[in-house]
Amino acid sequence: MSNLLELHNISKSFGALTALRNLSFHIGEGEVVGLLGDNGAGKSTTVNLISGIHKPTEGYLSVDGKKTAFTCRSDSADAGIETIYQHTALVDSLSITRNIFMGRELTDRFGFLRQAEMRAIAMDVLQNAVHISGIDSPDTLVGNLSGGQKQAVAIARAVYFKKRVLLLDEPTSALSVRETEALLNQVLKLKAENVSSVLVTHNIYHAYQVCDRFVIMSHGTKVFDVDKADTTINQLTEYVVLT
Amino acid sequence: MTPILADSAAPRSRTQRQSTLKQIMGMPAGAIFLVFMALQIVCIAGALLYPNEFRYLSPQNLTILMKAIPVLGCLALGAGVLMIAGEFDLSIGSVYTFTAVLMASLVGAGISAFVAAPLGILAGVLIGLLNGQITIRFGLPSFIVTLGGLLFWRGAVLLYNGAVQVRFDPEPVFTSLFSGTLFGINAAFIWIVLFVVGFHFLLHRHRFGNHVFATGGNRGAAEAIGINTNRVKLIAFAIAGGMAAVAGILATARVGSVQPGQGAGLELQAIAACVIGGLSLRGGRGSIIGIFLGVLLIHTMTDVLLLLRAPGFYLDMFIATLIVLAAIFNHLIERRGVA
Repeated sequence: MSNLLELHNISKSFGALTALRNLSFHIGEGEVVGLLGDNGAGKSTTVNLISGIHKPTEGYLSVDGKKTAFTCRSDSADAGIETIYQHTALVDSLSITRNIFMGRELTDRFGFLRQAEMRAIAMDVLQNAVHISGIDSPDTLVGNLSGGQKQAVAIARAVYFKKRVLLLDEPTSALSVRETEALLNQVLKLKAENVSSVLVTHNIYHAYQVCDRFVIMSHGTKVFDVDKADTTINQLTEYVVLT
Repeated sequence: MTPILADSAAPRSRTQRQSTLKQIMGMPAGAIFLVFMALQIVCIAGALLYPNEFRYLSPQNLTILMKAIPVLGCLALGAGVLMIAGEFDLSIGSVYTFTAVLMASLVGAGISAFVAAPLGILAGVLIGLLNGQITIRFGLPSFIVTLGGLLFWRGAVLLYNGAVQVRFDPEPVFTSLFSGTLFGINAAFIWIVLFVVGFHFLLHRHRFGNHVFATGGNRGAAEAIGINTNRVKLIAFAIAGGMAAVAGILATARVGSVQPGQGAGLELQAIAACVIGGLSLRGGRGSIIGIFLGVLLIHTMTDVLLLLRAPGFYLDMFIATLIVLAAIFNHLIERRGVA
């Protein structure tokens, strides 16, 4: 696996508070990485750095081996990174189709929406690429969907726009058991298509089901970086709880 | 492949069972449409049964309605787009008067109305941009900023022109274009219909409209996906200001003069029309047809009460009741998560 995304000695301070200290890890192509840690470990700051919301105080990111600096969210999106937040970045009062294409609408040269085309693509993505059951129309308002269905729409958006890395921030925290199972299967399916994922989570058991590697953080630093073959769930738990 | 989420299929079966009535209720502005149609049926039936006592269908009454609707319609369209983007503009009533005074006094100074009117609209747009800049730059509630605007521009009218009316005496072509008739239909009414169609396409068929809904519906999500929400809001503020000026042009062309106090309270009526039309006070929800139906409903109710010779203070009571009922209804709809 070649390294798709790398963090090099990244530190991030907010005034006197140091949120990240000398953090380095990588994400390979088609690799599923579990970013684990307790509250305050620095996971969210790391997610915000990778998605371009925060800029590092020190250190840098590289994509495909090239040093890069994300100054805003769209920079990371252009690099093929899609962040799917715990409270997914969708608009409840808009339809599934409009959410999938939000900010990247298909339009004619005057800016008018090519609605039929967008609807057909949304239908195709929902039925074939992601397969969300319980939704019979891409015109359904997102506000009428369950938490898991919303996550799936956010993933459908990433799939359609051919993202290379999915950053899933606490993706299972609001999901039922069945929804969680389906989401984790979706991550594995995307891995088979060479899409990498970073699962940022408290839940070691969920991460253990699908991740190839685990990066454990504590107090803003990396305390463990290990392949699944070289560790056990007990060891991971010890690192998260005791460090 | 395991389907994502097999356990929440409720909307499908419910949708399949919906009756036509429920389907209309579920559509944007569907409920207000039903209320409006019911009121029309009652009014038309009343007018046919009592043609001498209730002159709802008389040409004079229909003309009055057609002349009254466009002014509030323009104000409400501008205010509505801004509300969907998640902001308010309380200054539009004052801006409406200020820009009308500006236009009328320019015409009085010998400038063509075809130049003065665009200058009035430009002034409205600039005031809207100023409101937007202050709101966004300082992170203030637009309610407060535009409350300041309401008082400031009301005072500016008096500073600029004193408390006297301004005559508006444009070229006859201008008057015909904005207050004449075409096939018996008032020109201003034709203008508002054109604006409604134009705004419908802008808001519901154009990329900008999608960004307005996204900005008002979930600003964080809109920004996360790369939408410049500040820019969207600024444009919406500019539209609100510009449409206030357009309302001023239509009103001034109709009456032939501007009264310094004529816009007082119109901003609240415009917001009321939006709320009645199904717009959420939290932003992100609503439709252009809903706004227009809200305006039509306010004017129909007012007209009916006038035809029934109700004393003036009844009007406000009925409009107030309508607003509160509409707000309760919208709140219930929002809680249910329906359009």
